[in-house]
Amino acid sequence: MIEIKDLHKSYHMGSNSLHVLKGINFSVKEGELVAIMGSSGSGKSTFLNILGMLDNLDEGEYLLDGVAIKNLNETKAANYRNKFLGFIFQSFNLINYKSAWENVALPLYYQGVNRKIRKETAIKHLESVGLGPWVNHLPSELSGGQKQRVAIARALAADPKVMLADEPTGALDSKTSHEVMDLIQKINDEGKTILVVTHEDDIAHMCKRIVHLKDGVIVQDTVVDQVRVTPYVQ
Amino acid sequence: MFNRDLWAEIFHSIKSNKLRTFLTGFSVAWGIFILVLLLASVDGMKNGFTKQFNDDATNSIFIYPGTTTKPYGGFEAGRRIQFDNDDIDFIRRSFEGYYEYITPRFTKSVTASFGSETGTYSVRSVNPDHQKIERTVIDKGRYINDADIRNTLKVVVIGKVVADELFKDVDPVGQNIILNKLSYRVIGVFSDDGNEREERNMYAPVSTIQRLYGNTRNIDQIALTYNPEFNFAEAINFSDNLEVVLKRRLIIDPEDQGALYFNNYAEQFSNVSNFTTMLSVISIGIGMLILIAGIVGIGNILVFIIKERTKEIGVRKALGAKPMDVIQLVLFESVFITSISGFVGMLFAMGLVALISPIVDAPAFSNPSVDGITVVTCTIVLVIAGVFAGLIPAIKAANVKPIVALRAD
Repeated sequence: MIEIKDLHKSYHMGSNSLHVLKGINFSVKEGELVAIMGSSGSGKSTFLNILGMLDNLDEGEYLLDGVAIKNLNETKAANYRNKFLGFIFQSFNLINYKSAWENVALPLYYQGVNRKIRKETAIKHLESVGLGPWVNHLPSELSGGQKQRVAIARALAADPKVMLADEPTGALDSKTSHEVMDLIQKINDEGKTILVVTHEDDIAHMCKRIVHLKDGVIVQDTVVDQVRVTPYVQ
Repeated sequence: MFNRDLWAEIFHSIKSNKLRTFLTGFSVAWGIFILVLLLASVDGMKNGFTKQFNDDATNSIFIYPGTTTKPYGGFEAGRRIQFDNDDIDFIRRSFEGYYEYITPRFTKSVTASFGSETGTYSVRSVNPDHQKIERTVIDKGRYINDADIRNTLKVVVIGKVVADELFKDVDPVGQNIILNKLSYRVIGVFSDDGNEREERNMYAPVSTIQRLYGNTRNIDQIALTYNPEFNFAEAINFSDNLEVVLKRRLIIDPEDQGALYFNNYAEQFSNVSNFTTMLSVISIGIGMLILIAGIVGIGNILVFIIKERTKEIGVRKALGAKPMDVIQLVLFESVFITSISGFVGMLFAMGLVALISPIVDAPAFSNPSVDGITVVTCTIVLVIAGVFAGLIPAIKAANVKPIVALRAD
């Protein structure tokens, strides 16, 4: 699904240049659930941005579902993001004046899907994350865990090839963190490829594979025994 | 492009930011308000000037004799020029088809009395054409006619003020009035749109006055109107020709500036037209400048809005919004706010003008109004203004980097 060879990325600030990613080789097969770990400054965010086509790579090769991702113009990048990728952010990034279903339907809006189908699809996804009764609520009327579930539904809405989650539990308490991870595991069970950036060990161990980044290179890449989340019984 | 969802997005963003939308719109509404008011004011001034001229026919030429300033043809400088009836006949003969009406005119101060009432007024000696040139309105009776001239009848047409002052409640028409100890019969009463002073005059047949006072054929002024089908250049040309011919006839140096005075309304009217056109241009200029301030204001506020919405725009781009989608969103919002608030400003201005217009009727300012052209122009200006105001912020928004926008704060 994802094929990366010898990836380099530097940032230039005036005369200083910062070599962030120093030759990363990485591949992900369909249906994997991968945790990307690393301390801050290890380059994991830059890596995720490049995976998410939010940033360009300097050197190397990036194939996403067999499509070479390089030197994309803005419009093309937007199309690929829309078609291939679903994003989940630490701070949810819901649009605060749009209701839950409108937020979920946004990727479909940019695909040009008509409003009625958009609404149906959005509601279906919201129901699948257990938010059926909240479709018309604004983000401000939802709890943190609910917001993240709306964001997950939004990431699923366009049926992407890969879901990228950037610290999806970073802003949540441990109980809701586990709920969110439970949801991510279930989505993965259905065959979706998911990459989770995290710095928490227990969250990482809920994935099937852990990749450690340090100083711009992968220092460890291990397949682990997945810890299944047993949702707390109320 | 004009799909329902885009509008829904725009309404969403306007609805969720009512205050800043209001502030944004206000500057434009204000600009248009002032622009429309200025244009209406200029329109009012134009109407006022035109009305002033309407007192007299706008195609009038008045010729006054003066004193020669240059020796010519055996005469010394300083000779007084005197017109007489033959000069009128000469113009009639020589300029057939060029003039419309022509009349001699000279004014004499008289003491007038009726019964026990006495007053001092002016009598103008004229022929019937004068009514058309001065645009005299007859309220009662009739004006001087050709028979009065031919038979040198002692008749007068009196102004409304004269009638009020001397005759009080008596109907003046048919009464006898004493002018400088001679008895005249009042044949009509006139009023004048121009001003009240005009209504202190009386009109008498020129032949009668010439015979009674000095038995001369002398006249002081010649008033005429040129063919109304003439354009400005033709009118000026005619008046120049007339001057040359009259100077030759009266033996005046063609270069002499003091011997004859020509007062051509075409020239004055054209001056006034130029003046009001200039005013229009200036007021449009000022209005536009104010509007530009409004546009810059909108642009400024939109830039801040974009900054405020950077995160949202970043999210949208991460979810697949193309640069064009973002530009459209900002641009349409800008055009929408500008147009709506501009129309509000325009409606307010038009309402104010409609309210004031009937009240204001000063000599130089009357019936200010807003015409269709102004409305159409304003609309076009507003849409363009909206595009300009939104352009820079829109491009700025399109260039938002999702990674920068999404960086967890």
